Amino acid sequence: MALYSTHTGNKPVKYIRNTTITVVLLLFALATLFPIYFMIISSFGDPVEAGALSYSLWPSKISFDSYKFFFDYSEHSYRWLLNSLIVASCVTVSNVIFATLAGYAFSKIRFKGREILFFILLCAMMIPYQVTQVPLYILIVNVFQIENTYSALILPGLVTVFNIFLAKQFMTSIPTEILECAKVEGCNQLQIFLKVIVPLSKTVMAVMAILTFMESWNTFFWPFLVTNTMDMQTIQVGLKNFRFANTTYFAPMLAGATISALPMFILFFSLQKYFLEGVTVGAVKG
Amino acid sequence: MTRKMQVLASVLALFMLLTTLSACSSKNSNSGNGNSGNGNGGSTGSEANGNAGKSEAKDTITALLPPVSGNYQNNFAQMEKDFNALYPNLTLKIEPASWEDMTQKLDTQVNAGSPPDIAFIGSDGISKYVQQGMLMDIKDTATPEMVSDYDPAPLEYMKNGDGLYGFPAYMEVHAIGGNKEYLEAAGIDWKNVQKNGWTFEEFREAIKKGVVKEGDTTKRYGFVFATSGVTAKDYLNILIKNAGMPASFNKDLKYAYTSKNYLEVLKAVRLMIDDGSMPKELSSVDAGKRWNMFLTGQTMITGKGLATFENSANKNNEKLKANDGSAVQGSIPVEYIVLPVPTFLGQEPVSSTVVDGYVTFRGKKEPTAEHKANVVKAAYFLASGQVAATTNNDLFAAHISKSGREAAESMTIDRNPDNVAAVETLLSHANPARPDIPVELGAKAIKMEDEVIIPKLQALLADEISPEEMYEAVKAAAIKNFGEDGIVND
Amino acid sequence: MAQLAKAPIAKPVKRRRWKGDGGWAYAFIAVALIVYAMFTAYPVISAFIISFQEYRPLGSVFIGFDNYTSTFRDSLFWKSIKNTIVYTVLTVPVSLLLSFAVAIMILPLKKGLQTTFKAVYYLPAVASGVALSVVWLWIFDPMTSGILNQFLALFDISNQNWLGSSASAMFSLVLMAWLSSHGTSIIIYLAALLGIDGSYYEAAELDGASFFQKLWYIVIPCLKPTTLFLLVTGVIGSFQVFQNAYLMTGGGPDNATTMVGLLIFNNAFKYFEFGEAAAQSLILTVIIAGISLIQFKFLGNDVEY
Repeated sequence: MALYSTHTGNKPVKYIRNTTITVVLLLFALATLFPIYFMIISSFGDPVEAGALSYSLWPSKISFDSYKFFFDYSEHSYRWLLNSLIVASCVTVSNVIFATLAGYAFSKIRFKGREILFFILLCAMMIPYQVTQVPLYILIVNVFQIENTYSALILPGLVTVFNIFLAKQFMTSIPTEILECAKVEGCNQLQIFLKVIVPLSKTVMAVMAILTFMESWNTFFWPFLVTNTMDMQTIQVGLKNFRFANTTYFAPMLAGATISALPMFILFFSLQKYFLEGVTVGAVKG
Repeated sequence: MTRKMQVLASVLALFMLLTTLSACSSKNSNSGNGNSGNGNGGSTGSEANGNAGKSEAKDTITALLPPVSGNYQNNFAQMEKDFNALYPNLTLKIEPASWEDMTQKLDTQVNAGSPPDIAFIGSDGISKYVQQGMLMDIKDTATPEMVSDYDPAPLEYMKNGDGLYGFPAYMEVHAIGGNKEYLEAAGIDWKNVQKNGWTFEEFREAIKKGVVKEGDTTKRYGFVFATSGVTAKDYLNILIKNAGMPASFNKDLKYAYTSKNYLEVLKAVRLMIDDGSMPKELSSVDAGKRWNMFLTGQTMITGKGLATFENSANKNNEKLKANDGSAVQGSIPVEYIVLPVPTFLGQEPVSSTVVDGYVTFRGKKEPTAEHKANVVKAAYFLASGQVAATTNNDLFAAHISKSGREAAESMTIDRNPDNVAAVETLLSHANPARPDIPVELGAKAIKMEDEVIIPKLQALLADEISPEEMYEAVKAAAIKNFGEDGIVND
Repeated sequence: MAQLAKAPIAKPVKRRRWKGDGGWAYAFIAVALIVYAMFTAYPVISAFIISFQEYRPLGSVFIGFDNYTSTFRDSLFWKSIKNTIVYTVLTVPVSLLLSFAVAIMILPLKKGLQTTFKAVYYLPAVASGVALSVVWLWIFDPMTSGILNQFLALFDISNQNWLGSSASAMFSLVLMAWLSSHGTSIIIYLAALLGIDGSYYEAAELDGASFFQKLWYIVIPCLKPTTLFLLVTGVIGSFQVFQNAYLMTGGGPDNATTMVGLLIFNNAFKYFEFGEAAAQSLILTVIIAGISLIQFKFLGNDVEY
């Protein structure tokens, strides 16, 4: 049973309904996919400058020169990808663990100062980064002196309020009764978390993993700020090096962007089964 | 039991955090990047070296450099090596950065009190950093040989008040550029214009003749300038310099843009659009768009024009010849001609010049005399001789130091001799530097430009306000900022 | 596990206060709090102190409330707040609605098709910002060659100066937000939709509920926490947005698209008025916090089942 009626015995209705939906979805998808499409076809163009960029819907010629140009441009091209991978993986793993824990505490455990503490956390999201950036830079570079290290890239992103908030909102829908039963049966909170909450939260954890990885992978400014050698830069910082004095090597930059998007696809497809199965209370109930 | 588990969990959580921390730092030490040395940011380096106190003590100089020219960043390793060969006790550590983002990085570092020793920036940024007290005055440290190596005009740009804050790399003229074939078709004697300039009235007629129409649609405009977003200010600045307002303040430090000449220029801006010589959509034409329009024959003259555009046009011509589909779509062969900006109301021509250079910064602690000398050596190394010659040739920019000219003698570049001569002429009436404008006034003028002039200019270009309305708005803001007595009243 | 799950679910039970779990809670949030205190709270407190100073790296001067009073008197600040609110009101709800609709529509499709659409809608989120801005400049090209203008030409409408006139500049930015990627919201909504317990639908179907009744009485209430999350984070994000305005219009024409984020950015870096930027940020934070509190109040956080 689901939101949609299954129209048992009425196949044509179901068929028409699904076809209509598919068409609508396709049309909207076309609009949002257009930039990606443009990015990919342009990356097959020649490594020319931006002023020379031709706007056309079809590539006038297909060449892999730009991809070659990207990897030949700097000896660090591979290193940038590796750095991004290290940083994004660390940040993702730590966010999934700690944000889920904190989200659980904020949504299901009653403790003193819960509401106010959470709102204070939330307020931090509201302050524009432009003003917190300089104090943070002073902290990382002048106080901790960890400029140009992986620590500097990873530490500030270990747990984000966004993810705690996300976890908290999802966990409010987990029936409290289940947790109470577990408690009655003698589970302590850690056991409840591991045996009840985590299996029920696979969906949100997968979502969190994907979003965090993407966010971290795409971050430009912070890595740019705290790295000062080519070999510590991330892919996003490296990509910007294709912008020269008054021109931009456009196609190679887009080739780089296309390459840099690949790991996110891989992650998406490896995690997407968690969205599909939708591990829910119902599923646990079997 | 529960209590114990709680404590245990807290300890565990802390432990995990600590492992992450230490895991990260151990990764760092394995990565073997230069952080182990004394090159940890500009100020740290200088402090460490200040304590050493021996004349030939080792020192590291950090430099934050953008991709000044196409090949510039490729030469970093060579530059570091050459510098070390010249001064074996010194290490030059170059940080690359892209143009767009470099200011924000530098500004963050400056605000945090730990900028690099040297950064490549536009000379117009100097006053901002002087105000913060973060620039290093090298007036007493630079040797007479170094100072006398430079042409006086560009060197002036590196000064503010009494201080000298670095060495110039090049002085570029912002002019306009024409398509030779179309100029001749419109009956414009461009060689004469290159030598003797033109007035706005002559220019207006010329660009009218450049327009080609097919029915109601314009196939080719006479003049297209990039004015979208913040580039609008380049357009206005280039024009007002030739209307008797070379800087935002006159010699008596009165705000200049309240002069009636300013209004005349604003009217001219509107006229050229209303004539149909410039597109009515001018307010959203960006730099890429107008260059594309130039290469595809949609405009006779484009702006702003830099000497290096000749190079870009030549490259596209070659691609057209090769006919392999790599040239700009729909482009035609063009010969780029350097042209001066027209003059207004009988005023003297003043070329808009941009001087960029290697500016010297200081950290939170007062730098030692020794470190200061080393930084000056590095800045001079970058801004003279071989390095300067190679970079400026890449950019088609004129050489501004004796040592640069000498080093360039052996290098050949392929340029239109008429254009070279035209640039020389333009440089001969270059906009003089104004180190006398106090930093507070300069900062106010910049803020006014961003918050009043640019938005109003965009509205003027979009035909939403009249030149008079814009002039009144600028005047009102000027009075608010500088007082009735602080502005030009003519 | 099986035993646990057999617990009654649908029946509302009076909430019992759990005692003695506070310690656990603090343990669970410990890491988050430490990271927060170091890398968020500390910079925020610094910014708060700076907002009372004329900031100079070599020694700031305490100037009391000057930064605040000059901000309150600055008409451009209020204009930018107004622009930001207009932008937020026009973009955030539409974005929520679109993502919700897409998520609902993906649901009944076959597994293969579902996966494809999820990937398709997630895809744009990974596109590089540079590629995006280039494409949008092409779409908004003021000449007849622009995509949008070519589209208008089909209806015999002459070309528009999209980003160049104050009448359409804000609309252009809003349009850009509408058509840009909603991948993140769609994925979050989908995850939430799949989390709705099947037994609710079963019960509703026994009562003969129609699709829209199920949508109204089950789906929307159940998705309330998710909607609240997307709304609050969406508004926060929208209040800080300035990149698009900066790249596409530079805040013009005539400050029609100057966002408060752009103003703060300029103050902090362009003019080095770091104290004023900090003061403006804190005022902005108070405004957003107020709006968020209202959202929490109306979308009630404590949805109990």
